[in-house]
Amino acid sequence: MTLHVLWPNTALMTVLAGAVLMAYVAFNGMLLVWLERKVSARFQRRLGPTEVGWAGLLQSAADVIKLLAKQLITPRHVDRPLYHLAPVLVFVPVLAGISLFPFDRHLQLHDFNIGLVLLFALAGLGFLGIFMAGWGSNNKYALLGAMRAVAQNIAYEIPLILATLPVVLLARTMSLREVVEAQHQLWFIVQQPVAFAIYFIAAVAETNRAPFDIPEAESELVAGFHTEYSGMRFAFFFLAEYTNMTIVCMIAATLFLGGYIGPSWLPVPGWVWFFGKVYLLLLVMMWLRWTFPRLRFDQLMSFAWGVLIPLAIVNLLLTAVAIKVWR
Amino acid sequence: MLENAMLENVRVLGSAAWVFVALALIGGALAVTLPNILHAIFSLALSLVGVALLFLALGSPFVAAMQVLIYVGGISVAMVFAVMFAFALREGPAGAARRRRGLAGAAALGVFAALGPLIARASWSPHFARNDWTVAALGRALLQHYNVVFEALSVVLLLAIVGAIIVARREPPQ
Repeated sequence: MTLHVLWPNTALMTVLAGAVLMAYVAFNGMLLVWLERKVSARFQRRLGPTEVGWAGLLQSAADVIKLLAKQLITPRHVDRPLYHLAPVLVFVPVLAGISLFPFDRHLQLHDFNIGLVLLFALAGLGFLGIFMAGWGSNNKYALLGAMRAVAQNIAYEIPLILATLPVVLLARTMSLREVVEAQHQLWFIVQQPVAFAIYFIAAVAETNRAPFDIPEAESELVAGFHTEYSGMRFAFFFLAEYTNMTIVCMIAATLFLGGYIGPSWLPVPGWVWFFGKVYLLLLVMMWLRWTFPRLRFDQLMSFAWGVLIPLAIVNLLLTAVAIKVWR
Repeated sequence: MLENAMLENVRVLGSAAWVFVALALIGGALAVTLPNILHAIFSLALSLVGVALLFLALGSPFVAAMQVLIYVGGISVAMVFAVMFAFALREGPAGAARRRRGLAGAAALGVFAALGPLIARASWSPHFARNDWTVAALGRALLQHYNVVFEALSVVLLLAIVGAIIVARREPPQ
């Protein structure tokens, strides 16, 4: 394994970098909540938050203070160990996942040559946390939401992983940094448009967002698996969800859109390109959410098993054959 | 220098290996004793995380990540899912049968007896020969060096699928 660290790799620097990443996760969550409110408002011909701060920018900060000050209520008949463990188990993998990306050519905590596998492994831990929350809450809405979430996550994780494999074949590596470096000539979205489409659809489903927000359908399930959580515990789920969106968009930007690479004649630093692509994809996810109605559960499942997975397998096989023939 | 850093990492992890062993064993013990079946599955997940950490301590980050991806993120989740559909959650330990417990114990002891000599003979030291976890190296390892194991595992999985179909299709007695 090679180290690509901006600073000398000391324990102190690792701790500092971790603190910076945590601050970024919190800041990013607040920014995305504000953005989602603004975007949804514009889609519905409203203004969204305008009162707190310029263009309502401090609305999220006010919400954070509210959430911090709120009483933590533990319902009486919850399954205590699981109820308390679930927010942690949902949040920690997300925090670990975001530390794996190359934000710029020389701005990465540690480049693992199995980076992609690590990301998916961490995502799997999160599902277990969602289920723990739903079961531990001792609430039928939470349990139903958790069951839907697990069914959906199993179904959409398969096309998600299958859609990233052609990129691994093309780049001949699972290191996130090397995948980006392999895209200097051409971004992989040009060679793999189908894989990108499959990946992005599956990613929207994996993050439980509309039109795939069945696990949290407000009109049917109150709030799904986190119905019984209040105050900061709720905030952890919310933060994990928005960070998860960021992570899937970061994977998309890294694997398909050239990561930190932009046109070399523009004097723009790499991290600007990277975050520009990530937030552009996040805006697309919000656009989707406020444009499409929620799917029915059977539509959701048959779309994954009947369309996405076969398509992803065919795409993978064709890519493998093409590489064998032309390279 | 990098090799040294890597060695240092593994040395530290190696001295923590007994903690991981304890994690795996405690998780396993809880999995077979807890009355609530969902608690049992979550304990099993804990045990599997312990096994993954052991792979890490033995210098195989790839196998560790795969262990978490497949067993914790996949199999455990699928088990939870199946249990939700299968039967009443508040059911205590299957009131079943001392005979079945005896059989299970005998089977476990048999497996242990078969593996014991191998466990005793193996050198439990980190493998540095394969510090190379690129896709090409993994492909060569799976399809050349470990080819027989790879194919045997595929057959085991196929058998499990066929078995599951047979169990699922069994007609209820009229």
